[in-house]
Amino acid sequence: MVKTSRNIPLSRGIGLYGRSKMFKRSGKWKFVNKGGPKKAAVEAPKELKTRFYPADDVKKPLPSRKNKHKPTKLKATITPGTVLIILAGRFRGKRVVFLKQLESGLLLVSGPFKINGVPLRRVNQAYVIGTSTKVDVSSVKVPEHVNDAYFARVSSDAQDGEEALFAQGAAPKINEEWLAKRKADQKEVDTALLKAVKAVPLLKQYLNAKFSLTNGQAPHEMKF
Amino acid sequence: MGYKRGLRNQYAHTALLKLENVNDRKDVDFYLGKRVAYIYSGKKSGEKKHRVIWGKIMRAHGNSGTVRAKFRTNLPPKAIGQKVRVMLYPSTI
Repeated sequence: MVKTSRNIPLSRGIGLYGRSKMFKRSGKWKFVNKGGPKKAAVEAPKELKTRFYPADDVKKPLPSRKNKHKPTKLKATITPGTVLIILAGRFRGKRVVFLKQLESGLLLVSGPFKINGVPLRRVNQAYVIGTSTKVDVSSVKVPEHVNDAYFARVSSDAQDGEEALFAQGAAPKINEEWLAKRKADQKEVDTALLKAVKAVPLLKQYLNAKFSLTNGQAPHEMKF
Repeated sequence: MGYKRGLRNQYAHTALLKLENVNDRKDVDFYLGKRVAYIYSGKKSGEKKHRVIWGKIMRAHGNSGTVRAKFRTNLPPKAIGQKVRVMLYPSTI
């Protein structure tokens, strides 16, 4: 039953019946003096505050949707430990293990690196097919600091004008610290992951193999 | 396969694609929204040799698995009868 007011709105925030009439209409007169003394004390200050409503209509700002961020809903086929096929990007065609969903909604994924060269990486759900193959990742603990900020671009040390000119042909300088950290985290996750993968016969070879389509194959008829 | 058309007018903004192994209107649902690339080459060699026009599959066309696609710029008429690559993304499975 929806609680409706026995008042009749004349305009936003203004009803036909005033305070005392509403008191009678709502039946509150029945419950006067029925509460304990403590209750009465609490009620009083509240009433005083709201006794006078503002002369002009006070418009409440509409609830803002800006700060309520929820990660995108995961497709039903994707659960931690699912083997995913990456469809686009540098690692297209690779089969990879899904670890967890990050706050931004992107999926955290690992090759494991030793098997197919895919490091700890973020991937968008839309660019991935969830297969029915699952790996038991209950024993794999992803370090807490591996989140969206972890994957932010790291600028290499800025080079002076002259140096930059001479270094044009050389490979870009990689931040050594950053690299070491990444390797350490990769190792931490992969040792547990590899154990789980090795426990399943042929899973290692499966993850090593790439997904591809050949003539005559129809993806809409395939069961992944 | 050609452009969207009535008998006497054609609308080059929408192209008709025939997908391999898709012969039914039901089967088309999987491909809706998928990105499509028409790849062609230019005359000059080097970086700009292979060029792409990206598009996406918008809706089914008829009952036999043909599909309507819209590209960022209209497909050139020489693309009629040529191969176009249908990607598997954005994927919903």
